[in-house]
Amino acid sequence: MNTVQNHSWRCRRNWLVVLAALAAAGPTTHAARAASPAIESTLPRIVKIFGAGGIRNLYSYSTGFLVSAEGHVATVWSHVLDADSVAVVLNDGRRFEATVLGAEPQLDLAVIKLQTEAKDFPFFDLKQAVEVGPGTRILGFSNMFKVATGDEPVSVLHGVVAARTKLTTRRGAFETAYQGSVYVVDAITNNPGAGGGILTTRTGQLVGMIGKELQNAQSNTWINYAIPIDELRETVGEIISGRFKRSDDKPQPESMVANYRPLDFGLVMVPDVLFRTPAFIDSVVRSSDAHKAGLQANDLVMFANDELVQSCRSLKKELGRLEAGDTLRLIVRRDNQLVSVELQVPRKPKP
Amino acid sequence: MRGMCVALGVLVACLCCPGSATAQQDLDALLEQSFKQAAALLNPSIVQIQTVGGLDRVAGVVTGTGPTTGVVVSEDGFIVSSAFNFAAKPASILVNLPDGRRLPARLVANDHAAKITLLKIEADNLLPAKPAPRDAFRVGQWSLALGRTYTNAFPSVSVGIISALDRAWGRAVQTDAKVSPVNYGGPLATIDGKVFGILVPLSPRGQTETAGVEWYDSGIGFAIPLVDVYRVLDRLKQGENLKPGLMGINFEGRDQFGPATIGMVRPASPAAEAGLKKGDRITMIDNAPIERKSHVRYALGRKYAGDMIRLKARRNDQEISVQVTLTDKLLDYQVPYLGLLPERADKVQDSATDGVVVRYVFPQSPAAQAGLMKRDRITAIAGKPVTDSASLMRALGGMAPDDKVSLSFTRQDKVQSLELTLGALPDTIPGELPTVSIPPVERADAKAADPQVGRFTVELPAHQHSYWAYVPPDYNPDFQYGLMVWLHPTGDTMEAAIMRLWKSVCARRNLMIIAPKAGNPRGWNPAESVFVKAAVEDFVEQYPIDRSRVFVHGYATGGVFALSLLFKERELFAGAAVASATLRTPPPPNTPDYRIQLHFNSGSADADHARVARTVEGLRKMKYPVSFAIAKDRSKKYPSQEDVREIGRWADSLDRI
Repeated sequence: MNTVQNHSWRCRRNWLVVLAALAAAGPTTHAARAASPAIESTLPRIVKIFGAGGIRNLYSYSTGFLVSAEGHVATVWSHVLDADSVAVVLNDGRRFEATVLGAEPQLDLAVIKLQTEAKDFPFFDLKQAVEVGPGTRILGFSNMFKVATGDEPVSVLHGVVAARTKLTTRRGAFETAYQGSVYVVDAITNNPGAGGGILTTRTGQLVGMIGKELQNAQSNTWINYAIPIDELRETVGEIISGRFKRSDDKPQPESMVANYRPLDFGLVMVPDVLFRTPAFIDSVVRSSDAHKAGLQANDLVMFANDELVQSCRSLKKELGRLEAGDTLRLIVRRDNQLVSVELQVPRKPKP
Repeated sequence: MRGMCVALGVLVACLCCPGSATAQQDLDALLEQSFKQAAALLNPSIVQIQTVGGLDRVAGVVTGTGPTTGVVVSEDGFIVSSAFNFAAKPASILVNLPDGRRLPARLVANDHAAKITLLKIEADNLLPAKPAPRDAFRVGQWSLALGRTYTNAFPSVSVGIISALDRAWGRAVQTDAKVSPVNYGGPLATIDGKVFGILVPLSPRGQTETAGVEWYDSGIGFAIPLVDVYRVLDRLKQGENLKPGLMGINFEGRDQFGPATIGMVRPASPAAEAGLKKGDRITMIDNAPIERKSHVRYALGRKYAGDMIRLKARRNDQEISVQVTLTDKLLDYQVPYLGLLPERADKVQDSATDGVVVRYVFPQSPAAQAGLMKRDRITAIAGKPVTDSASLMRALGGMAPDDKVSLSFTRQDKVQSLELTLGALPDTIPGELPTVSIPPVERADAKAADPQVGRFTVELPAHQHSYWAYVPPDYNPDFQYGLMVWLHPTGDTMEAAIMRLWKSVCARRNLMIIAPKAGNPRGWNPAESVFVKAAVEDFVEQYPIDRSRVFVHGYATGGVFALSLLFKERELFAGAAVASATLRTPPPPNTPDYRIQLHFNSGSADADHARVARTVEGLRKMKYPVSFAIAKDRSKKYPSQEDVREIGRWADSLDRI
């Protein structure tokens, strides 16, 4: 190892000497006997959080990561933080009380502050975080299942980034307030207590924060994902500096009142008898907009404004979202062809 | 592709200097690069599939409605995917190509053996995926599971290695890359962008399109080799639906490792037409030598109905050589029936080895019509000696209803014989059934070491479950008893009701009860079959149980679980008696390898009555012996005392022959 002349390795060497000295000094600390310097340098910046829960199958622990030398910890916004103060255990076994400084439910994000005057915590500089693509090898760090007891370091998993995607691209698939993009990974990272843990590249560059456990309602499967740091960076900064305003304190857009139905466009759909009745057009009202646009009986509506229409029900939902003045783009399947039409949404739906 | 080769070149170079941290880092970087390049190389051949309409549940599993993945296999628009993605029978299918084109697709054909579906879109100049040659597959090779469900921009990637070859009787390779609805239908790729196979859910035990889904993301994933798909692609393109190839033989004995000796040739089957006979020992199929039964399954695992095989066998001292054209469907097997109850073995008489003594002859049965009488001792059937009732059942297993057979028996020490025409095991419960009286044992001064009697609870620590049991207090360990495995419905163990209704029936019909408790009060989890099995084994070790009279009994959701358990564990259970319960997944075909009997009980005012009746009808169509008791005007309720007595008679006649 001494012969290594790699640049990035040399940069980190001082750090490691310190770490090694620390490990040697205290027999109580668990020296991270890691295969890579990336893991050795990441572990001290991950914390375990113990808070509310413990009843009705709710776990009372989660994970966080230090984002300032003063002891600010970013973590996932969950019921675990639903307490006056929570206990935070560092990688070296030190234990601090912490309080919630601010939270953004729309990002599933909270920042907590350790109750200490110390200003020498190892931390992640969020500006150094990187963006990665599918196939990138990653490491996941988390307090999953509370496997790490006492002052033991958290668990490390490995895998690759499967995709970067929006959870909301499939409307209704996920019950989450978070609307941004996520990294989906092929390691089983999202376990009880893992929320607030992190993903890094194999060289230890910060990639994302592991999210809450989330089930895909469409395929009935659990998903493993992390929220990219670039989605969180600004809000973390605002919370720490005290400039932050929660989105649920901001005025909400008025809820939708317009409720358009297929008939408002001159479409009569087949009777909706099944849970997933395909959206076949039963008939088209003469001289209606739909008629003028050339829609025909037996056309199957496949897309409404680029959303896949899986059933009569989902077509109705899609039309319900429209507002006067919008354009309704429909793609229908007629025989073996896809036909695209555009309809103007009328000023007022018929009662 | 050239970049790829360079990268691999460096990879190899790095492997030559281990121990150096730089080398390790470079190696890691190159490996990561290779993953991405493999995905990029295959990218144009991976399509996204969207479906519209269809069922919301298939075999009890909520089906996905999200997009799924397919792989291009021809320039002119043929695409293969996992049949899982079409299990919901969608009304319409759309394919999104990587270049952004969106085209309607037509389902061309299914390969039911490999669980693969072929689609067609009207497009040209597509890039078909290149298959990796089968002889290059190695355990431990890198493998990438690719899907196209999240975004259309780039495939999703999960990395693993090949965990095993030739799984599911040679049909699939196994990987520890994460396989789930996210990439079912997508390719399992080599690190240089070729395709091992198409990702599918697969269960070595299940047969439905959704079997194996419960293993999603577990590190146990399967792919059907693409070379095998290409092998049958032309047939699929013609619209031919491929089915597993069947020969129509059953082996002698159940031991998988035993020699492949034919125990029965099914009537009108390909094996029968090829002239194979009971007793032939298969030695070669095509060019594969056969030593054990499992070798035959491997040899046939990748064969389809319509395929022809060359088979060699030993008959006496001769080698015979035949050609067999496999079929997709055999005539349903029906259990043949003589119409008698055998004398039961007990320890006092030392289980008989010199024939089967007739305890009772059912009126109007084939045995009655031929003149067989109570106390006759059957010594041979069709020229083969009969030692006990199990050997008589085995011999009958190789025959069919309407077969004419000769019976040799002794009556008052005189050897006689008669001819009779076999019937089929009836669909009814005998209205009158003689009881077997067992001398009771008084247990006034029971010792602690004695097995427990009465009602008691047993903990099975290894399974973190418990079961309660009932053993008649005066049971006689020298005689054999039937065993009822009671499976309670959701949320209620019904312990008191079962004891009240069954105690007298247990005494009259010589039954014992065990009642495993579900771990979750909300209902049975399919995985709990392991625990139920362990409970039965635990009990049978301590009490004198006749294995041919072990049956599951359940009501409502417990009955549903009982039926699934019966068909999963046919070695363990001789039958199921269920009330207000339906079969949720198609059962396996009836086979002479297992002797299964069923009884259904339903109230005519039960909301599920019509479904129960359909289940009965379906099972009868498959020639399972099924009796069906309908309680007039009863709503959803556990059977009455009278119905319970009837189930007791059914249980006491499970050993009828």
